Amino acid sequence: MDRRNALGGMLALFGAQVFAPLARAAGLAAPPVIDQGVPRLQVFTPDQRALMTVLCERVIPTTDTPGAIAAGVPAYVEKLLADWALAEDRRPILSGLAEIDSRSWQDYKVPAVQAKPEQQDALLTLAMNDQIPDGEEFFKAFRQMVIVGYYTSEIGMTQEREYLPVPGEYNGAFPYSQVNKVYSA
Amino acid sequence: MATTDRFDAIVIGSGISGGWAAKELTEKGLRVLMLDRGHMVEHVDDYTYDGKPAYEVPARNIMPDTLRDSDYFIAQHGYVAPSNQAFYNNDRLNPYDYGEGSKFYWIRPAAVGGKSLIWGRWSFRWSAADFEANKRDGIGGEWPIGYDDLAPWYSYVEKYIGVSGSREHLDYLPDSEFQPPMPMNIAEKWMKQRLESAFPGRKMINARLSNMTEDKPEQNRSKCQLRNQCGNGCSFGAYFSTQAVTLPAARATGRLTLRSDAVVTNLEYDPATKKVTGVRFIDAKTGQAEVVRAKVVFLNASTLGSVQILMNSRAEGSERSHFDTSGTLGRYVMDHIFRVGVKGDIPGMEEFIEYGRRPGAIYVPRFRNNGRDEDLGFRRGYGYQGGAYREPSKPVGFGAAMKEGMRRYSGWKFQMGAFGECLPYEDNRVSLNPNKADRFGLPLMRFDVTFRDNEMRMMADAREQGEKMLRAAGLKNVESNVKEHVPGDAIHEMGGARMGDDPRASVLNKWSQAHDASNLFVTDGAQMASISCVNPSLTFMALTARAVDHAVKGLKAGTI
Repeated sequence: MDRRNALGGMLALFGAQVFAPLARAAGLAAPPVIDQGVPRLQVFTPDQRALMTVLCERVIPTTDTPGAIAAGVPAYVEKLLADWALAEDRRPILSGLAEIDSRSWQDYKVPAVQAKPEQQDALLTLAMNDQIPDGEEFFKAFRQMVIVGYYTSEIGMTQEREYLPVPGEYNGAFPYSQVNKVYSA
Repeated sequence: MATTDRFDAIVIGSGISGGWAAKELTEKGLRVLMLDRGHMVEHVDDYTYDGKPAYEVPARNIMPDTLRDSDYFIAQHGYVAPSNQAFYNNDRLNPYDYGEGSKFYWIRPAAVGGKSLIWGRWSFRWSAADFEANKRDGIGGEWPIGYDDLAPWYSYVEKYIGVSGSREHLDYLPDSEFQPPMPMNIAEKWMKQRLESAFPGRKMINARLSNMTEDKPEQNRSKCQLRNQCGNGCSFGAYFSTQAVTLPAARATGRLTLRSDAVVTNLEYDPATKKVTGVRFIDAKTGQAEVVRAKVVFLNASTLGSVQILMNSRAEGSERSHFDTSGTLGRYVMDHIFRVGVKGDIPGMEEFIEYGRRPGAIYVPRFRNNGRDEDLGFRRGYGYQGGAYREPSKPVGFGAAMKEGMRRYSGWKFQMGAFGECLPYEDNRVSLNPNKADRFGLPLMRFDVTFRDNEMRMMADAREQGEKMLRAAGLKNVESNVKEHVPGDAIHEMGGARMGDDPRASVLNKWSQAHDASNLFVTDGAQMASISCVNPSLTFMALTARAVDHAVKGLKAGTI
């Protein structure tokens, strides 16, 4: 019997009227709400954050629609890694940023954040092709976070895609020629 | 300890069957107290995230891994998300046990309305053969009722709740009182024609759903708006839920008292009169215990919630429930076996796409062992639920080219998953752990439930036949997958207090009425003696309406 169960068993004698700190200790507290405030943990140093931000934009750049930065993707990535993802999920991101930066010094003699966009693309491509240490692990995770963050953002759902909150009807043979943008679910 | 005699009937649980019990009892003139362990969720007002896009839902409506692992490690198997988190049980606060090698996912709701807020909404009648299966196979207990006993009650509940579907005239899957079906899309129609001609006798039909395709203005409910956000709560009332359908009806009588946050621990019993004399519950907010009394009690706390309450209703110092004279209480627990999926690409028709998001698409009804045992190495059968759809392309790489690539749709894909019937086994059982109690002092449930050879062979067949059907229909890149089969995962758990004619071998009689207490009715999934392979909720509704009719007649006649 672990400590939580032992305490829980005793507290059951008192019904649910228990002193709040005891209740928390016994796991009787209310279900947690999902924290949406500022990240509780600082995942990135300012330099790492700056690099992460420009790389988000390289994954989904501004074209005829806004890119990842305008869509708030960097803040989403940081919040996700700080509070919503498991701690072990931070490591490949942080080490990937460090490897990209190190490779940038080697190839371009500047930190990656100051490299030209095409140089940053070249660095991301090296990561994608696993040509820097643990590059593929970084790239897959980072790319996925950026894509999810972008296409669930207001810009991603309503500008890059078309949002249909209430379709109201179903047409199972709707002409594709009439689709202007992909529908966001 | 407060007691009261203000009520004629107590309904324990406000989910799919409890809501029906409250509606029927109040409409027949009884003053009803409905208790639910969950917190209150009012229709519309408490659907916090109804109609909200992902960017207005916490964590973009993707369950944070941290919260999933700490508090929703079981609910994750029941599709919990930030937008519906309030409807799901917190697994950290409400633990249970299972035996070595008997992993069970007990996926529970946490709010008034129960699983009616989180269910899949597929609605099927059982067939005559389903009720005869145990007798035919000599497995499990014989059903004391048949299809004809239930048919009028199916009609009664279907007309009220609104079920969409297509009339097919299949004796192994009787038609309901249907509203028009959710239409098939062009790719599904193509596939239906090819599949049915390649496999005479097999059918691909429209989904049968409690999502309405016609308005019910008299119930203040609109037809489905094709949003496919049912799990957030539907302010249109387009699908059956307690909140949208049975609770308003019961409240309209002026005879319903609803108490949320009321955790029932046990039923008090008088062995002399063989009647339930009280319902004890704990107010989850204050910790105070209360006992309430009424002439008749409907236990609708969910299949295993009801069994837990029954098992915990014991004389002082006794381990035997008042309601377990037969020794079968807690036994013959079943769930549909699933997690076999098949998928493939449908060629062509790329000039068409879907507009609108259906809540369900197509069904392939059972085609194995229909009418006779086909000597397939397993008994009973399975059906598939699935559909055809197009998704945005998934280009590789990154940058402007990828972004542009994601502006197109891929071709049509099709996928479907099997739900198979599990046989009733005496030693698939739940019990109370005498050494561990939850925060309300209720002994923890312990599960010793496993799937057996029959279920595994059935799933192997479902995988093989699924692939064959997709290939024969002309699909490309056909693949199948099998994930771990865990009882409870289908959230179709049934049994534990089965019906039967013989009080020595069953807990309930043919009226869902306890053999050991004439004023106790258990009308949720606990009463089921077998489980068919179709989704069960519609059958619970019909059985509940039927049981209430019997109970009220009995009260009037003085036989209860």
